[in-house]
Amino acid sequence: MSPVLHIAANELRLMARARVAQLAIALVVILSAVAALTAISQGRESQEIRSRFQAQADREFDGQPARHPHRMVHYGHFVFRPLPALAGFDPGVDAFTGSTLFLEGHRQNSANFGDVRQSSLLVRFGQLTPAFVIQALGPLVLIFLGFGAIARERDSGLLRLHFTQGVRAGQVVLGKAAALSVVAGLILAPALGALAWLTLVGGAAPVAALTLAAGYAAYLLVWVLATTSISALAPSSRTALASLVAAWALSAILAPRLATDIALLAAPQPTRLETDIAIQRDLKKIGDSHNPDDPHFNAFRASVLKTYGVARVEDLPVNYRGLIAMEGERLTSSLFERYAERQFADQRRQSGMALALGLVSPTLAVRSLSMAASGTDLEGHRRFLRQAEAYRYAIVQRLNRLQAERLTFSDDSKRNSDPEAGRRVRIDPGAWRQTPDFVYRPASTSEALGAATPGLLLLGGWLALAGGLAWAASRRLERAGA
Amino acid sequence: MSHLGQELQLFLRQRLAVPTLALLALLSVVSVVAGMTEIRRQVETIARIQPLQAAEEAVVAAWVSRDGDAGNAAYYTFHATWDRPSALAFAALGQRDVAPYVLRVRALALESQIHEGETYNAELALPGRFDWAFVLTFLAPLILIVLLHDLISGEREAGRLQALQAAGGRTGLWTHRAGLRAGLVFVAVAAPFIAGAAMSGASAVEVLGVLAVAGLYLAFWTLVCLGVGALGRSSVANGAVLAATWVVLTLVLPALAHIAINSANPVRQGVELTLAQREAVHAGWDKPKDATLAAFFRVHTEWRDTPPVTSGFHWKWYYAFQHLGDLSVADPVRAYRRGLESRDAWTARVGLVLPAAGVQTALHRMAGTDLAAQLAYQDRIRAFHERLRRFYYPYIFNETPFREGDFAKAPRWAEGD
Repeated sequence: MSPVLHIAANELRLMARARVAQLAIALVVILSAVAALTAISQGRESQEIRSRFQAQADREFDGQPARHPHRMVHYGHFVFRPLPALAGFDPGVDAFTGSTLFLEGHRQNSANFGDVRQSSLLVRFGQLTPAFVIQALGPLVLIFLGFGAIARERDSGLLRLHFTQGVRAGQVVLGKAAALSVVAGLILAPALGALAWLTLVGGAAPVAALTLAAGYAAYLLVWVLATTSISALAPSSRTALASLVAAWALSAILAPRLATDIALLAAPQPTRLETDIAIQRDLKKIGDSHNPDDPHFNAFRASVLKTYGVARVEDLPVNYRGLIAMEGERLTSSLFERYAERQFADQRRQSGMALALGLVSPTLAVRSLSMAASGTDLEGHRRFLRQAEAYRYAIVQRLNRLQAERLTFSDDSKRNSDPEAGRRVRIDPGAWRQTPDFVYRPASTSEALGAATPGLLLLGGWLALAGGLAWAASRRLERAGA
Repeated sequence: MSHLGQELQLFLRQRLAVPTLALLALLSVVSVVAGMTEIRRQVETIARIQPLQAAEEAVVAAWVSRDGDAGNAAYYTFHATWDRPSALAFAALGQRDVAPYVLRVRALALESQIHEGETYNAELALPGRFDWAFVLTFLAPLILIVLLHDLISGEREAGRLQALQAAGGRTGLWTHRAGLRAGLVFVAVAAPFIAGAAMSGASAVEVLGVLAVAGLYLAFWTLVCLGVGALGRSSVANGAVLAATWVVLTLVLPALAHIAINSANPVRQGVELTLAQREAVHAGWDKPKDATLAAFFRVHTEWRDTPPVTSGFHWKWYYAFQHLGDLSVADPVRAYRRGLESRDAWTARVGLVLPAAGVQTALHRMAGTDLAAQLAYQDRIRAFHERLRRFYYPYIFNETPFREGDFAKAPRWAEGD
């Protein structure tokens, strides 16, 4: 047996006999399994609830009675953000964003009923998911089982004995790291099982699942190498433990929160209320449909009259009120889009800044990769918001067009004074049924992988750094041992 | 006292002592500064929206008062509400980063307005904020572990234990030493908080309350450290056991409790009630006006004798079915709220067993930044909305013209609301 394998086998035998090691591994494996089971079942449950609500909303829309189309514009529609399959592995920001959006004419509502506002402060302790267990607890188990791997043997003089038998320091470091990697594999196993399940049964994209598996394996390998190296470099096992736990606390506990505060401080965002007011102001500047002498709407009327070659709106072959509604919607919608894109850009800048702290924290790097590959990052929510806005615009304009084409101007103008006209402006509910339902298009695999790339690169950097550290530790040990 | 001074000198000469305490003090200062910056930003936002809102209102007033239609005034005028942070909010930001602290409402049906959210970066909200409550709950115990895990075992490993125990036979030696270290940790974490609280204008009672909670929490961890240390294992083993205890008590068990509480108290009513309320409000357009108004007059008898609606559209009827829409979901609204309160109550119960959850519950309650505070803000909005409705009703039901001067008479959100 090669010395490396021999050392690894010995270390594993030692761990298998130690009560603490057994307990730690059992605990984290059980936790990981519990997390995987609850995350998968919760994910499935909330997906079921959402599709049930979506079906209910679609049914209710289709079932509305004969109405004036503008009533339907305000009746609006509810859409629900479907949960991606891999949310059972890493729900990401799902609980922190609303999952339902009310769409109506000339208003943009917020996505509501996110779990974070419906939960007690316990939600801020972190959610027990397979992702959380590996990100936060996995490294700690590796540290506890590995901090003494080399330091202990040096303290007891065993290391010197190895060296006199002709074992190289590099082989010791490699062997210990190999043993610890087996532990990492055990920690990872339930999560890999969950990924396999989600791929085979849940229909998740295999490439995304593989990316997750590779990312987490790399992440744990960083900690395996760091733990082994620090164990070799530290003057005593106590110092090794202290510095490793400190590094863990910095990476997994401190950095994520610091990153949040730094990013928010550097790039604050306006509140919703201020944005609403800003949009209203801009709208007034372009055209005010309440103002009978508004230049924009006067010009609009003139151009409509010219197009149809008539002198008065009453003579148009279409209902002018419907045309006004379409023009108004076009204006508000373009402003919504401009402000939303600005907000998305602000948020991307914030998130980028937070990810930059991944330079000091591999946990931030793996978190970003994990959410991106699972499709539960903020980009996924933005995609939902964007598609929902496009859908909102499409159905509202469709209803406005019905108002323009199926109603006469004269009926529409006296619908409140003449009961007969009031009856005629209610159009056949078949039109509601013909309105297409909202279909969410999730991120394609290549989009998800693209979003995961920064995190993947950062992790690659960390892996190289940890490898370098292990190499340096071997050199140091070699010189000290000789 | 001179004995304690001697112990202090001894302790501060240790290699890890000063850097560790300095680190904790620094983190505590950073958290207080970060919290105060955030709260200042929120206060500034609240101040900034007032003139914005006034200008908005002036624009609406200018065109509405042309024909004096009160229905338009009520429909187009938004009224700002806000939730001013308490003096202690900087120390425990809680839900203030995900729940709106400024919200505009109109005299229309409330249930489609009150659940509106705020725009925030969910990726940043996910890990939570770096506030003082976080430093106290998560980091201070780690520092205590660093300073206390080798209190006895360190002396034994240095070969001084027997001598120490023989010298004078003072039983209080370990109590003194542990008390000294815990006291220094307390000062390092609490001093920046006291400074921040003083600058934020917190009362002495509030500060003492927070300090008492912090003191109890640190005392708990000190006892845990001493308990583990008393078992007579090596410093390394103590460190490992204590760190594992910390992980289980502050990360694992609260996360498990969260899962258990949320699945035991589902709150699906939120979505259900908004779907149901929309149906009720919009069905109002298709129901006979007389029936709608009759139902409304059963609640608001005072308008029963106003002139009947004969035209195709009248604001009376419109605002009547808006309000009836809210009333139709009163039951699910109550159920939704009960579900949320039940989650909060269970968390408080968990806090009795889990110190980390307990200290967070207590701090956020005192700071007024928890779920209960969010619900209290919603209650104030409900009361304000009621005043708004009652302000507009006389104009609408008596068909009184709404003039420019009437805008100033509308109810204003007051801090005491």
